[in-house]
Amino acid sequence: MRKFLHDFLFPHHHNNFRSKLLHHKSIFFTIVLVLFAGFALSLVRTNFPQVLGVSYDITSSQLLILTNQKRQESGASPLSLSDKLSLAATYKAKDMFSENYWAHNSPSGRTPWVFIKDVGYAYVYAGENLARGFNSSDDVVKAWMASPDHRENMLSKNYSDVGFAVLKGKLSGEETVLIVEMLGSTNFATKTGSETAVTPSASSEVQNLVLSRNEKPFINSVIFSRNLAISIVIVFITVLVLDMLVIRRRKVTRFVGHNLDHILFFITILLVIIIIARGLII
Amino acid sequence: MAKLEKHTGHYLSLITILGVGFAILFFSSDRSFQMLSLTLTVFFYVLWGIIHHYLNHDLTAKIVVEYSLMGALGEALVFLILKGGFGL
Repeated sequence: MRKFLHDFLFPHHHNNFRSKLLHHKSIFFTIVLVLFAGFALSLVRTNFPQVLGVSYDITSSQLLILTNQKRQESGASPLSLSDKLSLAATYKAKDMFSENYWAHNSPSGRTPWVFIKDVGYAYVYAGENLARGFNSSDDVVKAWMASPDHRENMLSKNYSDVGFAVLKGKLSGEETVLIVEMLGSTNFATKTGSETAVTPSASSEVQNLVLSRNEKPFINSVIFSRNLAISIVIVFITVLVLDMLVIRRRKVTRFVGHNLDHILFFITILLVIIIIARGLII
Repeated sequence: MAKLEKHTGHYLSLITILGVGFAILFFSSDRSFQMLSLTLTVFFYVLWGIIHHYLNHDLTAKIVVEYSLMGALGEALVFLILKGGFGL
C-alpha cells in the first residue's frame, strides 16, 4: 500500500519520473470514474429521492428576520410580512416552474406587478428579488446584499411590506429551490412596523403551497457532488505541486506538459465548482 | 520561477484566458451560458498549451493528449455537479 501510494503520488525512476496519477491512463480512468459517478448519483436521485436530492433550510420567517436586521443596520424601518405579497410570490414561483423560466418577466410577458395586482395588493411601490439553488436563508440574504441592485431593493425606504415564497421544483431540467421576495408599499409615506391586513383565505393558501414541498432527503446531492469534485481537484493540485517540486529538486528533464499550467487550470476549475454549486440571483 | 520569467507573456495570456472565462461564469445567472463559458475556457486552455509548447520547441502528441485530458477532466468534474447534484 505504501509503495502504491508512493508510486501514485511521487515521481521517481519506477514511474518514469512522473507521479502515476498524472499518467495519461490514470487521468483517463479518473475522467471515466467521474462521469460514472455523475450518472450513478443521478440514478440514485431519480429512484431514491428520500436518500439523495436537493435539500434546504430556508423559511419566510428566517428571511424576514435577516432582511429586517439588514434594514435596521442601514437605518430603514423593518418590513411587515404581508400574506398578499407572500401569495403573489408563491404564484410567481409556481409560474416560473410551470412556464420553465428564470427571469423577472415570464416568456408570455407577465411582469412581477401582474402577480401583485392579482392578489389584490394595491401597490404604490413594488419590487422583486429572485434566488435559486441556495441551502440556507443566510446565504440567500448574503447573496442579495452582495449585489448592488438587490441590496437597494432590500433596503429601500419605499417599501413597508414583504412577502416570500420558497418552492422546490424542476427548472430547465434542474431540480432546484426557488426563492421569491416581493416587496411593496400601499402608501407614499413609509410605515414604521405597522401590520399589513391579512386575508384568512390567502394565509391558508400560502401555507398549503409552501409546506407541501418541504421534504428533506438524507443527503444533499449538490453539497455531496460538490465536495466530491473539490476533493478530486485538491488531490490533483497537490500531486502536481509535489511532482513539480521533486522534479525541480532532482533536476530531471522530461517532455511532458508543465505542471504550473495545470495547477493554474485546476485552481480555476476549483473556483468554477464553487460558483456552479452556489445559488443564483437575478 | 525561471520558467515564469522566461515566459511572462505566455503566462499572462494564460491567466487572462482563465480569468476572463471565470469572470463570465461568475457574473452569469444562466446555467447553459455558464457551461458554454466553461467549454470555451477549456478549449482555449488546450489551444494555449499547444501553442505554448510549439513556441517552446517541445510539442509532442503526448503533450497535446495531456492538455486535452486535463481539460476533459475539468469539464467532467463540473458535469458531476450538474448531473449528480442538480439532476440536469
